[in-house]
Amino acid sequence: MKPDSAVNAPVDSRGPLLEVRNLHMRFPIRRGMMRRTVGYVHAVNDVSFYILPGETLSLVGESGCGKTTTGRCIARVYSPSSGQIIYRVDEQETIDLAELDNRELRPFRRQIRMIFQDPFSSLNPRLPILQIIGESLKVNRVASGSELEDRVAMLLQRVGLRPEYIRRYPHAFSGGERQRIGIARALALNPRLIVADEAVSALDVSVQAQILNLLQDLQEEFNLTYLFIAHDLSVVEHISHRVAVMYVGKIVELASTEELFNNPLHPYTEALLSAVPKPDPRLRNKGVRIRLEGEVADPGNPPGGCYFHPRCRFAQDRCRLEEPPVRELGQNHWVACHFAEELELRGFESIGAASNDIG
Amino acid sequence: MQPIHTRLDNSAPAADGVLLDVRNLQTHFFTDEGVVKAVDGVNLTLKRGQTLCVVGESGCGKSVTARSILRIVPAPGEIVSGQINFRKRQGGSIDLATMNPKGREIRRIRGGEISMIFQEPMSSLSPVHTIGSQIMEAIMLHLPVTKREARKRAAAMLDLVGIPRASERLDAYSFELSGGMRQRAMIAIALACEPQVLIADEPTTALDVTTQANILDLIRDLQQVTGMSVLFITHDLGVVAEIADEVVVMYLGRDVESGAVDAIFHDPKHPYTRALLQSIPRYGNHDRRRLYSIKGIVPHPFDRPRGCPFHPRCDDFIAHKCDRIDPPRQFIGREHSVRCLLYAGAPELNSDKELPS
Repeated sequence: MKPDSAVNAPVDSRGPLLEVRNLHMRFPIRRGMMRRTVGYVHAVNDVSFYILPGETLSLVGESGCGKTTTGRCIARVYSPSSGQIIYRVDEQETIDLAELDNRELRPFRRQIRMIFQDPFSSLNPRLPILQIIGESLKVNRVASGSELEDRVAMLLQRVGLRPEYIRRYPHAFSGGERQRIGIARALALNPRLIVADEAVSALDVSVQAQILNLLQDLQEEFNLTYLFIAHDLSVVEHISHRVAVMYVGKIVELASTEELFNNPLHPYTEALLSAVPKPDPRLRNKGVRIRLEGEVADPGNPPGGCYFHPRCRFAQDRCRLEEPPVRELGQNHWVACHFAEELELRGFESIGAASNDIG
Repeated sequence: MQPIHTRLDNSAPAADGVLLDVRNLQTHFFTDEGVVKAVDGVNLTLKRGQTLCVVGESGCGKSVTARSILRIVPAPGEIVSGQINFRKRQGGSIDLATMNPKGREIRRIRGGEISMIFQEPMSSLSPVHTIGSQIMEAIMLHLPVTKREARKRAAAMLDLVGIPRASERLDAYSFELSGGMRQRAMIAIALACEPQVLIADEPTTALDVTTQANILDLIRDLQQVTGMSVLFITHDLGVVAEIADEVVVMYLGRDVESGAVDAIFHDPKHPYTRALLQSIPRYGNHDRRRLYSIKGIVPHPFDRPRGCPFHPRCDDFIAHKCDRIDPPRQFIGREHSVRCLLYAGAPELNSDKELPS
């Protein structure tokens, strides 16, 4: 650990657990025989946010918006091209994860864990559950032998699986059970931050409800912090404290869940909210759906100015020329739009998605 | 654009408007390990111009039901009993269940009268043929047109489904299009011969929410233009609420409840339907309260529970009754049916009538 790489984040015991500052991730586009780099896909483009301890922050956006890449940079699966990932080690000390090498990262890999989307491809089919969950305990010399078995059995129990399953292989489990195994694996080393990348997207509704409840229970029990990456806005609304909306590698809006859903300030957020299917047939044709024309911009060749302007129904000349900075409007409500103050955008409620008298 | 959708009007009108009537369909898979009863008694009625949603969790048999209608159930699956009555465009009703799945007659119906779109457009479109040639293939197979006419019609179809610069895109390959555009291209192929019925098997599941909204709008708009009926298969109750006229809820190969969309959402009868509706995250629960979740998991198809297939997970389970009697399908409203012993008319427990399996 290099103490000199610690950055002056607010040294407050209630300060953020993680602060991302101006994060960039560029992937080279290679062409031709010599694999020459002809350009870059700017997957994450100047992203900044923080996560408080014990909170759930969701990253939402369409596929290709860079939400997964952001999560992977934080878990240091990728080495970011530039920017800082300031992680709070304890009350006094913070450290920039972005500049650490693999050896220096080792102590932090135990504290930041990932849960993946597809419970079928994220578990090794040739290993029994004991090894899948126990591997990280063994590698980090936390437990071995019969103690290891006890720990794994306890973890299985905690995520709602029978401890006898310890010698079974992944093929013997259903999708929901496999996702529980993935969660147990993430929990094994008592992490502080869990990056859940579309953790419930592949699951059926009834199983999805079980897993969401489990994630919330675990958060309370172990004071976990979640970075929850998802595209399903009703799930996000249910589980998050705050939500960040991403579009083509940038955060366009970030606010508390209630604020973002009731009072969106970015036209893209409004369009996303209006596209969510309303779970009540009586609300059909009530409210307005904003149809987004055209395609998501190519992150290898983004348009000038505001990246959203070709699809935005409010776009003006300024939007084509000038890139909007992220500004704070209202308390802890950030938005990147030139005209955020002037636009009258509709929240979830007035779009007509709210209903409580079902079932 | 030339008007291309005209043919449905001169089709023979059915007195009750029923186009497709599936009765007690059973499709079983005869595997080496045993018989999987993927579809085990499903009834559904699709009326002209309407949208019927089949909803259920994975493994409930909703896709196999759809494939049974088109007779494209993969081996070792077989329709073992039931009827699939379909009213042909020229008039007259036929039972698709008794047809030879490789015969000339069913091939005329596939794509011509009933067509299907799938979840993953990338794997259902050919990567080595242009979009145009794939649409033209469907057109020339079913309609007596020349190649030039087929190409013109293909361009008109792409235009109809909202693909910009349609005549240029005819020569594009599927990998050159985005996910939403691919799904539009697949819809263009499916609708090229003006089918009476479109079967859509989770067509929006792989798409982003904004693209999903556009595709749902497109299907609705096309339905207005063509008057086709849609059999929509999905697991997403939000989509059902948006698009359905009628709903069939499936669980373990059974139609546990069916009725009008409003009845299903506002007066659900079956405990499974109610549980499903309660387990979706709903806007407005700012206290982040726990979601209702159905206990347990969908049982393995090899060990189907005796009696009502839902009883091990049911909150309203009646001991010695639900685990013994297979609930029959009963009507509790004119078009609202449910398979559950909680409702009136449930047969008295009688050891003689106990089901053997």
